[in-house]
Amino acid sequence: MGAYHTVAIHFPIALWMVSSLAIFIRVATDGPIGQAMDRALKVFLVLGVLAGAGAWSLGINIWPWETISSTPMGRNHMMMATWSLAFFTLLAVTRFLQGDRIWQGASRWIMALLALIGVILVGITGTLGGHLHGSYTEVAEWLRLAGWEVYSTFYVPNGTIWLMLGVAAVMLGLAFVKLGKSEG
Amino acid sequence: MQQVKIIGAAALFAGTLIVVWVTHGTGIVRNDPARNISIPDQLTVPFQVQAAYNDTTMFFRYRWPAARPGILHDVLRYEDGKWITEGAGVPGSDPNGMHEDRVAMMLDDGSVPEFSRYGGYITIGAGLEGLTDEAPEVVTKYLPATRNQLGQWDDMAPDGTLATLRDAGYFLDLWHWRGGRSNPVGQADDQNISTGRDGDAGSASYSTNFDNALGQPRVMFDPATAGYKALNWDDVVAGRVSQDQVYALIDGQVLPYDPDAGWKNGDVLPRRILKPGTGSRGDIGVLGQGRWADGFWDITLTRALDTGNPADDKILRDLGSYTTAFAIHRNATGLRWHYVSLPQTLGLGREAEITATRFAGDTPTWGNTWTEITLYYPGQVTWPMLNSTSHAGAEYIAKGVPVKYRHSPEQLTQYGIEVEFKSEIRPQWLKTLFAGLALIAAFGVSLNLVLAQRKEV
Repeated sequence: MGAYHTVAIHFPIALWMVSSLAIFIRVATDGPIGQAMDRALKVFLVLGVLAGAGAWSLGINIWPWETISSTPMGRNHMMMATWSLAFFTLLAVTRFLQGDRIWQGASRWIMALLALIGVILVGITGTLGGHLHGSYTEVAEWLRLAGWEVYSTFYVPNGTIWLMLGVAAVMLGLAFVKLGKSEG
Repeated sequence: MQQVKIIGAAALFAGTLIVVWVTHGTGIVRNDPARNISIPDQLTVPFQVQAAYNDTTMFFRYRWPAARPGILHDVLRYEDGKWITEGAGVPGSDPNGMHEDRVAMMLDDGSVPEFSRYGGYITIGAGLEGLTDEAPEVVTKYLPATRNQLGQWDDMAPDGTLATLRDAGYFLDLWHWRGGRSNPVGQADDQNISTGRDGDAGSASYSTNFDNALGQPRVMFDPATAGYKALNWDDVVAGRVSQDQVYALIDGQVLPYDPDAGWKNGDVLPRRILKPGTGSRGDIGVLGQGRWADGFWDITLTRALDTGNPADDKILRDLGSYTTAFAIHRNATGLRWHYVSLPQTLGLGREAEITATRFAGDTPTWGNTWTEITLYYPGQVTWPMLNSTSHAGAEYIAKGVPVKYRHSPEQLTQYGIEVEFKSEIRPQWLKTLFAGLALIAAFGVSLNLVLAQRKEV
């Protein structure tokens, strides 16, 4: 299964990287190149999510749950892969739901920010996958310098988890409260 | 207004990600003596080795940093008419600076093939003393085949099998230099690892300086030679006892204990009486004084290439190829609170990670060429665990892939700590994963709802 995951994972990585590049170009220009990028973006995002879901499914079947959930690098890789998939799913859904208006006003910069975070997430995921496969890069050293020893599990304390859930609730509340006012 | 809401949601999202990054890895890893957990502040230590040999004798020179020399293992402190034992051993560093510094070297000639691939990990069976799940009785390092089943510390192989394994050389030679219990008499403790970590045949260099029947020490310093009958507790704790003074009770240089010698609170006697080990156990000597200076130990051990004790020692031969692994104790630690190395090849006149050079004469002339080795705190990684489904590399062990192919000391020390907190880290990791998903999903829903309002306006 590991070999198939290694093969399959290159497709979403490529599609997500190209999607991010397309977003950056579209944010930078409303001209013909930007428009062309946006048309391709929709295809890349959908294919990326589908390919990502497939590779993710292959990945979680490489080892038994006991193994992958006991190994720091396995845990980190799985977490970052899951977040990457969720993140680019968010980008795809947003692009389709919002249409061309996503490139207007502040939301265009939000897309750029999200693409940047997505690139970082996928980059970290790929780095960790490389370590699991025995292919090491200096990216791990950069992460170490930035404060994360990649050979230790990435987890946050309960206080931060409550903050994450609280912020999630606030963001939802913010949207729904506004929706209610608009409808009222 | 929608613009403000979008930017606000994005700022909340990005800000939370920053908090996640800043706080990650906190809240779980902490010292817990009740569970035998104590993580050293420094996880790796540089270690240097040189090796040389002549026609008859092998020499190893070791050098490693230590803030102060651990030359007292445990002591007896006089308090209100009683002698109290100090330095009984605790998880991590002894608060009073007890426990001797040590360097240990495991050595094999290929008779224990897993050792060349996995080093000391193969000796960490289930239930060892000092582990969080230590056995109810003292269990020391042992080799896997001495038990019928992996992970069953008390399921010993039949005596006949053990004897046959021993005859086949299935044991590790252990050179064990002790800063307090062997160095003062110019020896290292010659031990071996098979069914446990045991001394070679013969007598050890140390015995206990306490008569339980009388409730008092057996011997004391000779004031005529030492200048005092006892050490002082404040000096001991402050590390003011040095190798430049008499600090060990060496048989033949001490006086019988005199209960009427005017003992006062704070007087201290070492809890060990030293006498050169005999027989196979006394095979390993210290060349020179075995000194600590300027923040470093510099120790040279010496042993006959052929000790004549093949049942206890690995016999060394010219042009022979061997495997070694090293460990040190420092900062007043004992048991598993040591720093260890990955296995290193040793060649006598042959190219290896540690190449012993042949020389003529009695003592080697050391140059400045060292083999540099990184020692690391190993945590609580056991051989049964490494061969279980809890270890992604178990299949590679089954295939015989050496540990150094996939792991570095820096990596292994992190993994070792993670294992100590496995029951706490896994659920926390899962909570983090799902909280992250919730955050991403909430931001996505919020973003799209707010943007939808913008379209409707």
